[in-house]
Amino acid sequence: MRNNKLVIGSFLMLSLFASCSKVIDVKETDFIGGDVALKTVDNIESGIIGAYSAMNVEMGILLNSVFADEVRVAEFYNAATVHEWQYASTDISLRDSYTAFPLYYRIIDRVNRVLEALPNVKATTAAQEATKNRVKGEALFLRAFSHFELYRFYSNTADGAALAVAYMETPSLTPVARMTVTPFFAKLNADLAAAKTLLPATNTDIYRASKHAVTALQARAALYTKDYANASTFATEYIAAFPLATKTNFPKIWKDTDNSEMAFKLSRTTTAGGRIGGLYRGTSANAANIGTITWKPTQRLLDAYDQVNDIRYAAYFFEEPILKASSSRSGSAILINKYAGTTYGTPTELLADAKVFRTGEMYLIRAEAKAETNDLTAAAADINALRAARINNYTNATFATKGDVIDAIMNERFKELPYEGHRFFDAKRRNLPITRLAVDAQGTALTLPAGNFRFILPIPNPEIQANPLIVQNPGYTN
Amino acid sequence: MRKVVLLSSLVFCFALQVLAQGSKRISGKIVDIKTKQGLGGVTVNAGKVNALSDANGNYQISVTDQKSISFSIVGYDKLSKSIGNATTINVELASVEAVLEEVVITGYTRESKSKFAGAVTTISGKTVNDVPVGSFDQAFQGRVPGMLVNSGSGQPGSSAQITIRGIKSIQGAGAQPLYVLDGVPIPAFDMQTLNPDDFESITVLKDATAAAIYGARGGTGVIVITSKRGKAGKNVVTYKTQYGITQRPSFARMNLMNTREMLAYEEREKIANTPGWVWSAKNPAIPAGMTAASKQRSLDSLSNIDIDYADIFYREGITKSHELTLSGGSDRTKFFLSGAYFDQQGIDLGSSLKRYTIRFNLDHSTDKFTAQFNSSIGYSQSKLAEGDFLGNSPRSPFQMTYRAKTYENPYNPDGSLRWGASTSMAYRQVANLLEGLQNTTRGFDQIKMVGNGLLAYKILPTLTVRNNLGVTASSNYVNRYINADSYVGSLQSFQSGLAQESNTVTSEFINTTSALYNEKFGKSELEASANFEIVRGFQRGLGFTLFNLDKRLTETGQGAGPLPTNGAATYPQNASSAKSGFGIRSYFATAKYTYDNKYSLNANIRRDGTSRIVNEENREVTSWSAGFTWNALNERFLSKQTIFSDLKLRLSFGIIPNIGSISTSSYGAGLQSITNYQGPQVPTFGTAQYAGSTLTGLVPNSPGNPNLKIERIQKSNIGIDFSVWNGRARFNLDAYDEQTLDLFVNQPLSGTTGFSSLYINAGRMSNKGLELNAKVDVVRGRDFGVTLGMNHSYNVNKIVDLGAVNEFFVGTFVIREGLPYGTHYTYNYLGADPATGAPTYEAPDGSVTKDVAKAGQFAKFGNYLPKHQGGFDFEFRYKAFSVSGLFSYQFDVVRSNNTRNWITRGTPGYHGIVRASRELIDNQWQAPGDIAKFQKSTFDRGFTSSDLEDAKFLRFRNLVVAYQLPAIKGPNGKSMINGGRLYAQGQNLAIWSPWRGLDPEDNNNISLNEYPNPSMFTLGLDINF
Repeated sequence: MRNNKLVIGSFLMLSLFASCSKVIDVKETDFIGGDVALKTVDNIESGIIGAYSAMNVEMGILLNSVFADEVRVAEFYNAATVHEWQYASTDISLRDSYTAFPLYYRIIDRVNRVLEALPNVKATTAAQEATKNRVKGEALFLRAFSHFELYRFYSNTADGAALAVAYMETPSLTPVARMTVTPFFAKLNADLAAAKTLLPATNTDIYRASKHAVTALQARAALYTKDYANASTFATEYIAAFPLATKTNFPKIWKDTDNSEMAFKLSRTTTAGGRIGGLYRGTSANAANIGTITWKPTQRLLDAYDQVNDIRYAAYFFEEPILKASSSRSGSAILINKYAGTTYGTPTELLADAKVFRTGEMYLIRAEAKAETNDLTAAAADINALRAARINNYTNATFATKGDVIDAIMNERFKELPYEGHRFFDAKRRNLPITRLAVDAQGTALTLPAGNFRFILPIPNPEIQANPLIVQNPGYTN
Repeated sequence: MRKVVLLSSLVFCFALQVLAQGSKRISGKIVDIKTKQGLGGVTVNAGKVNALSDANGNYQISVTDQKSISFSIVGYDKLSKSIGNATTINVELASVEAVLEEVVITGYTRESKSKFAGAVTTISGKTVNDVPVGSFDQAFQGRVPGMLVNSGSGQPGSSAQITIRGIKSIQGAGAQPLYVLDGVPIPAFDMQTLNPDDFESITVLKDATAAAIYGARGGTGVIVITSKRGKAGKNVVTYKTQYGITQRPSFARMNLMNTREMLAYEEREKIANTPGWVWSAKNPAIPAGMTAASKQRSLDSLSNIDIDYADIFYREGITKSHELTLSGGSDRTKFFLSGAYFDQQGIDLGSSLKRYTIRFNLDHSTDKFTAQFNSSIGYSQSKLAEGDFLGNSPRSPFQMTYRAKTYENPYNPDGSLRWGASTSMAYRQVANLLEGLQNTTRGFDQIKMVGNGLLAYKILPTLTVRNNLGVTASSNYVNRYINADSYVGSLQSFQSGLAQESNTVTSEFINTTSALYNEKFGKSELEASANFEIVRGFQRGLGFTLFNLDKRLTETGQGAGPLPTNGAATYPQNASSAKSGFGIRSYFATAKYTYDNKYSLNANIRRDGTSRIVNEENREVTSWSAGFTWNALNERFLSKQTIFSDLKLRLSFGIIPNIGSISTSSYGAGLQSITNYQGPQVPTFGTAQYAGSTLTGLVPNSPGNPNLKIERIQKSNIGIDFSVWNGRARFNLDAYDEQTLDLFVNQPLSGTTGFSSLYINAGRMSNKGLELNAKVDVVRGRDFGVTLGMNHSYNVNKIVDLGAVNEFFVGTFVIREGLPYGTHYTYNYLGADPATGAPTYEAPDGSVTKDVAKAGQFAKFGNYLPKHQGGFDFEFRYKAFSVSGLFSYQFDVVRSNNTRNWITRGTPGYHGIVRASRELIDNQWQAPGDIAKFQKSTFDRGFTSSDLEDAKFLRFRNLVVAYQLPAIKGPNGKSMINGGRLYAQGQNLAIWSPWRGLDPEDNNNISLNEYPNPSMFTLGLDINF
């Protein structure tokens, strides 16, 4: 009798064992996080907007101004280590203003989370299916774009065996080693090719990536890797979709009242994205009391223009009357107009959208690609077409040698694309020095010789600490 | 495998059936194990036959086929002897009190102390039984070596912060030990609905051998509580009552200015918008509508007001309690029943605790079968002090005690409160505070149930199977009401009061199945167990907020009006709810081998699988320990010595993970929250705006930590227990080394992750310490006894390794390799510059600087966790009288006295709104050449080393004066009462400390706005019927 009880008891205990096998799989059910956060089409679209919210071209714009010869010191100067090329990997200015590493990998992490969630997101309508495709295309584009920016900061070489940076395709907390340029661009180009098939062909929303934005990045990436055939093809494709702006419309681009030439720009408000013009000077208290000027255009740049006939001159610069009249605020009174926004002291002063791709750049990409493939005629045609669109009373130029064409292209890039984030990268890409006029330079910082190690930024110090697999760029001691 | 064991044991059961034999007579003598005096009235039992021993302890009994004989009497541990062929069986019974010394209760097992290698401290339930604090853990201070107990609030029923052998974790620095009541884990910080009078013993498990059996929940130590049980014999009825008062501490330590001094100070420092300066004759400005004469009149009338707000903000609280217990039973069945009522008013005007509890414990046992049932049901109603929640606010009485200007008159001429908008020239702050307290309630009602049922069956004499099922559940209802028809009510959103209510239900279920084996082979003895355990916890809760209440009603949300949307398209929801839970599945085994009562080896291993770790690969964690004891006096070569009456060496080593190291987050449920056990381990998302889209961006704001592992604590302990002088002087010494491995530290992340830093398992922390416990029976006479005791512990914490970083900052202290956790980190303030009165600081190069930007921050000012702590206690007994007391102390501790910073800040900004310390009168810079501690009032010095103060203290924690009542017989010769006890008790009687704040003791690093710990005086009476 008692033994029966025992048998029953032991069976009860055994059944308890079985029922308890799931006890350690108790999940949090009320938590919006992890897999749950990106579950619907709306969620992943919000996720991609989250990635756009971190998108930034301003860091590159300021870098290419300050490290090259686009700007000179004005009223406030605390950037000696970067402006005068004295930085090491622990430099505070680099840390505070030019650390592209976390900036772009943050965007990459955001899109990778969207891409990871995407296969499990159910689209029930055709519209949702379209959104899903578009989000995937945008994610791939933003991933490629961000990686390309990292490449420009920390590698910027066409040497396929040289180190690029890690190409992150999934969210991961594990340290990753840098990869070489060839496989890096294989992944980048694959992302772009895939994005192109998914994104809308028509540019309905300039603030989000379209197929043409992909084309533009394809052209730019091909130029950097010296894939001139593709650079030419993609530039042509872009130019076909976005012809050069008329002379009437060109200045409107910089006031955001016209979208000629542009497939993609980043929308900016004072709270979301901030004032791009603030890179060069502070906001003004009122019309009579203008903000502190950090950087002014260099004389070298101003001198490069036909200041009477070149419509870019007036669009990009202006003479500040208060400054001209003031004796206490000495020096040149010419300031950067490109991102001036509305008038002094108004809420949207210095506020403008950040332009990512323009047709002007595409003409110059194609010209360079043609010149490099010794099609000097086609190269000259592109230079002349661009100049004709920008300069009143322009007569076509002719070029005797490839060297002349390349010089003309680089000079035209200087004039067409200042404050758009190209100058320093271009010099590195083409193995040119940075040279400043004495009037533009601080002290002895006149020349950064071609091929100097400082053309490539050091891997930031926190990364060296955190990532045992990372390899520092040459020339930097840690 | 288990099934095979069970079935094979059944087979053995049949095999061991023995046939009956003839009857025989057995006799013997029963004596007390200590006094060797004969014990009368002992029940001698053999199967169905019972006998009683005579007055000298002699007995006789006839047995037939019984194999064993048992002896039991109230107050002594029951003893069984096997009969065999014996006809004379003499036994020694050990009194229950003596047993407490000899047995270690680990919760799963009762270990003979002589064979147990663990470091434990057992304190008798008496320690907490009569102490009139709502939460019994407060009574531990100064009692247990190695256990730091600090109380952070004088709220009746609030729990203390307990740290056993140092802080073990950075991320989980506040992790509390595991509390286990009769085998059921109960939540820490939640003791107000348990009746400590029901507790028989409290055992603190400190080292690996003691705590490894609890696995990952035992990493920070275990506090095992057993409740009282009935004893065979006559039923005992006891009535206990206490009545007493609770008083506020003295605020004199803060040395605050009175009205005359404050007005003079305001005048001297020309503090704008203060009556002392605005109405001063020295101030040439005449305020609009006033004349020089009316200025003087205003000042004169104000200077006659000098109110000590401590008298107004605090009260003398009443404490009363009643309890009735009934216990008794037979050899086979025993019961313990208690019902109690506890009612304590706090010294804060609004705070109190009322508690109703019932306990029923039942034991039933036969030769082979044991059943045990324990249950406690309680209901408590707390009124919580609003000041504990207001924090930094002029509505908090704890702050305004030192902040309110003594010249504010809170009353109108008719005695009503003069509330309204407050300005610095016409303060209404105190009136607003009092009006707020009168119209605000914050209640906390808790229903708590803890129960367990244990069944054990002895399959073989050497093998027992056991199952213990326990449940703890509590319903927690919290509310906060602000009356609609009041000034404070008009300041709420929608200008008509506020009602917030929240209810959570938390429960935990535990089932432990064990097989226990015990066998002797010659001189060897082996005990082993195999166990399987399941724990499942549940939490669920909801909360809501109502505005726009009905002005006719108070303390209810009924009648609340609709809310306007103020033109907004949407309106936030004022209600929330959440649920969560966790599960733990564990397998564990213990073994103990003893040879010749000299050497014992103890070993435990436990494997826990817990849902609290998301990563399936790291979800199962192992704890293990190994220990060794040597009872030296059982060695032949020591058998002749006469110095020692006990000498035992203990060694233990093991690794125990610490589940408390894994951070959790929470879901809001109104005034309460529900624990989110997994949140910090998985990515969380926030929002971000992109100007180019009308959609709101969704962005990961923490990456989670998929690689998360649990921190493990490697514990080594060496201990020695010895007694000399015939056992009258008893000592325990322990030295330990505890290393936290895989310590979570804040590490920089590779940029490729998209995040900058994360707490990951990369560091190491160590705690090393010494513990001493001593008890000496100085006089041990029949009528007169003196016992003195002391304990001291010393703990040194050190952050050994922080992985890839050297330091990072948490709150006011620095986490740096080589320093202990909790090291203050701030500027070194060097006094006022004699020439200018500017504050001066130490620069990193050791020079003196007036520029705080050039000053260095240093880590040389000490630590908020005491290195040394302990207590000493005494007991004098003369016939029926006894006096006992406890002092507790802590030293080598520095805390940040934020309150003092405010009262000595010395700037117009502060002293326009804060009553100042008298130190500013004599020690603030006035003129060039002054050597003063505090800077000129036009400068500010911020938070610096001048706010860090030595917080060592010696506290007269407890004093009891008692008289043992004799038995009283009625006129018919029948006993009316069987004795009792009359006593007077004081709690927190005095404190000695250099600390210049209210109370040097607190549960954190900063002193600010605390509910002060009160002093208590009670009279108590126990009567046994």
